[in-house]
Amino acid sequence: MLRAVLGAATGIAVGVGSLTLARGAGLIIDDGQVLGLAYLLAVIGFLFGIGAFRFWVTWAAGRQVDPAEEHAAHGTAGDWRRYFRFTTDHKVIGVQYLVTAFLLFLIAGSFAMLMRFELAQPGLVLGKEAYNTVMSTHGAMMITVALISIIGGLGNYLVPIMIGARDMAFPKTNALSYWLLPLPILLVAINPLLGGFDSGWTAYPPLSQQANLGQQAYLMAFVTVGISSIISAINFLVTVFRMRAPGMSLMRMPIFVWALTVTATLALIATSVVAAAFTMLLFDRVLGTSFFRPSRGGDVILFEHLFWFYSHPAVYIMGLPGLGAILEVVPVFARKPLFAYPLAVLSFISIGVLSFMVWAHHMFVSGMAEFFHIPIMLTTELISVPTGIVFLSALGTIWMGKLHFKTPMLWVFGFIWAFLIGGITGVYLADVPTDITLSDTYFVVAHFHYTIVGGTIFGLFAGTYYWYPKITGRMYSERLGKLHFWWFTLAFNATFLPMFWLGIEGMRRRVADYPSQFGGLNLWISFAAFNIFLSVAVFVFNMVWSWRRGPRAAPNPWRAHTLEWQISSPPPIQNFDHIPMVSAGPYEYGGGVGVPAEGRAAQ
Amino acid sequence: MTSPRRHLWIAAAAWAVLSIVGIVLVAGIQIIPVIASREAVIENSAFVLLTIVSVPVLMFVVVGLAYSALRFRANGDETDGPPVHGSRGFQSIWLGVSFALVIGLFGYGAVGLIDIRGAQSSDFEVQVRSEQWAWHFEYPDAGVVSKELHIPLGERVHLVINSDDVIHSFWVPAFGVKQDAVPGRPTQIYLTATVEGTYPGLCAELCGFGHTDMHLTVVVSGRAALESWLSQQPKPSPQPSGSPP
Ligand SMILES: [Cu+2]
Ligand SMILES: [Cu+2]
Repeated sequence: MLRAVLGAATGIAVGVGSLTLARGAGLIIDDGQVLGLAYLLAVIGFLFGIGAFRFWVTWAAGRQVDPAEEHAAHGTAGDWRRYFRFTTDHKVIGVQYLVTAFLLFLIAGSFAMLMRFELAQPGLVLGKEAYNTVMSTHGAMMITVALISIIGGLGNYLVPIMIGARDMAFPKTNALSYWLLPLPILLVAINPLLGGFDSGWTAYPPLSQQANLGQQAYLMAFVTVGISSIISAINFLVTVFRMRAPGMSLMRMPIFVWALTVTATLALIATSVVAAAFTMLLFDRVLGTSFFRPSRGGDVILFEHLFWFYSHPAVYIMGLPGLGAILEVVPVFARKPLFAYPLAVLSFISIGVLSFMVWAHHMFVSGMAEFFHIPIMLTTELISVPTGIVFLSALGTIWMGKLHFKTPMLWVFGFIWAFLIGGITGVYLADVPTDITLSDTYFVVAHFHYTIVGGTIFGLFAGTYYWYPKITGRMYSERLGKLHFWWFTLAFNATFLPMFWLGIEGMRRRVADYPSQFGGLNLWISFAAFNIFLSVAVFVFNMVWSWRRGPRAAPNPWRAHTLEWQISSPPPIQNFDHIPMVSAGPYEYGGGVGVPAEGRAAQ
Repeated sequence: MTSPRRHLWIAAAAWAVLSIVGIVLVAGIQIIPVIASREAVIENSAFVLLTIVSVPVLMFVVVGLAYSALRFRANGDETDGPPVHGSRGFQSIWLGVSFALVIGLFGYGAVGLIDIRGAQSSDFEVQVRSEQWAWHFEYPDAGVVSKELHIPLGERVHLVINSDDVIHSFWVPAFGVKQDAVPGRPTQIYLTATVEGTYPGLCAELCGFGHTDMHLTVVVSGRAALESWLSQQPKPSPQPSGSPP
């Protein structure tokens, strides 16, 4: 860690130093170019410092990698320092991702509190410029949370175990994908010091070309997170397709693994497009190109197309892991097999395919080609068919089940409600005649919070409570978990339901001030939003306190059938002493047979 | 013990009652707060239709959840539920209904869309120019530029929208029209105002910190009143003022 910080500092020093020298020599260099080079070298220096390249350098130099050193990089059980090192154990990386994501969730949540502080009453408190920066930073950070928390955190921890593997396919690359994140996250967090950025996370040019250095910081950070996401996606796909235990056929994979497989495919294909678009935008700013500069023949609508070609699939990169986690939890607490499992798998795949054909529904009022509205409206509405199957599976499993309302199951119910509202209101935004009125209003704000908080964050909480005993070896407090659920869910609905109304009444999104007629409702929303924040404090307390003081967890406290519950809690460092033989599907409830062989041995 | 079939019937009855009540409540309501154009009328009926369709969908899931939460609690029963992996019939009905809904809504939406954005002919044209953070309206026939937009009642108006700097969006809620102003690429909309009056409009696309205050005003009046207003406007001199003749 210390070496990594030193490496980053060296990178910055070299970047700033060399360009200052060049400036002294009479070259015209602007601050953006200095920031760009310094950041690039800082990331490289940081990665070298943390030891990300040490094995590859050894290998490239033609020397033998010391197996003892490789073993040490995997970490030793009980050593807390492994969480701050370049550790290759997928379980450590999962926890790193998860904790990072929750920390970022808290920071981004604080930014949301600042927004609601400004919006509580008509008039200005923070001021318009500060508000735009706070709003943009909140968005950028929350999107990162939604992108990395489940797949990076729970996914890294659980996928290898759930398919009966000892680690991911490429453990060092896995660690690399995590250690690419700290610097860009830090850079976004400090962007207000660089003048902030007021374009929102969408960064549409030409606005994003005029804006401050904070804007450039955001673009560079986004590209770095994108690279990390692509690396991790490749790793997931290879792991799932090459590392499954014998007997773990594709149709015996837990639905969570399926969800992450489709997610990784989307991330792999789509992320490169937005990384390219943002890089072109950076070139426009830093190197004087004009890809998106209309004054010199560039095209801004092209940017919108490229941006949404990634950023709509990104909604599913955020959402599918949540849906997977929910469907993983349902059968366990309903004590019934997952309803229509093959159809659910098919629906994930169809969501994946269709998600590439719907991006322009974000552009119905953008001025894109006229005919294009019609096919995009069709594909967007079509995607509600596979999405609906998630409801079919969840409801079908719950129906006639033996429901145990532990905290994870409460989150499932909260998820179904929130995602349902998100889905129904999504149809109003897919339908062009209604979308013309609604786009860029608070209706959209309410809608995407219902889908992304409803889909991803409810899924994340369900999954975190569900797998908490496995990851920590301790039980969380059921009472605090339920308090968190009810408080969060009521406050969440109290915050975002009224926003639909505000949007229909004509309140625009991304404004620091609004007509006084909306004052009462906005005060209520600010109050409710503050309650969301407080409820998360209960969660944080529960997680931290239970990790130290909670009662010891049994290997399988929920009577689940999937592989991760057939080993000790927390799992041994190599996951399995013997690679298990899988002889049945993951949700064989009510049949008496079908608990995986390893599981029977463990029970 | 209630039989599985009986559970289904009770839930279905609750669903039917709630759906009918819901549909009766939402049918025919006005959702767009102020309606002053042909386009807004079309959009409002689209809102109503979507809301009517949403009610039974919403109720289906809500009743399913609520009924299960009330009736299927384990209450200490540690045995498993029935080993049902799916139901071919139910899954087919579900898929059939969702496809039918989607195709129906798409057809309705496409008709509304063509109604709003099709038929590209007009009686009155205005060039809309936007910049950070103001709107300018130019009437090519009269050779006039104004800060307020004036359009004739009941006539099809063609707006050609431009931007001098960043993306803005021309939005008048009462008319149900919204269109981005894109630098380097003129965009256009058509609208027919149906109620005389003065209406607020605003920029709907984030365009920098002045976005919050980027408003506009539209005045709808009869053709005669409009012509007399146009004739009273100062014509911009062909040369910038202050320069020698
Ligand atoms: Cu989208
Ligand atoms: Cu604006």
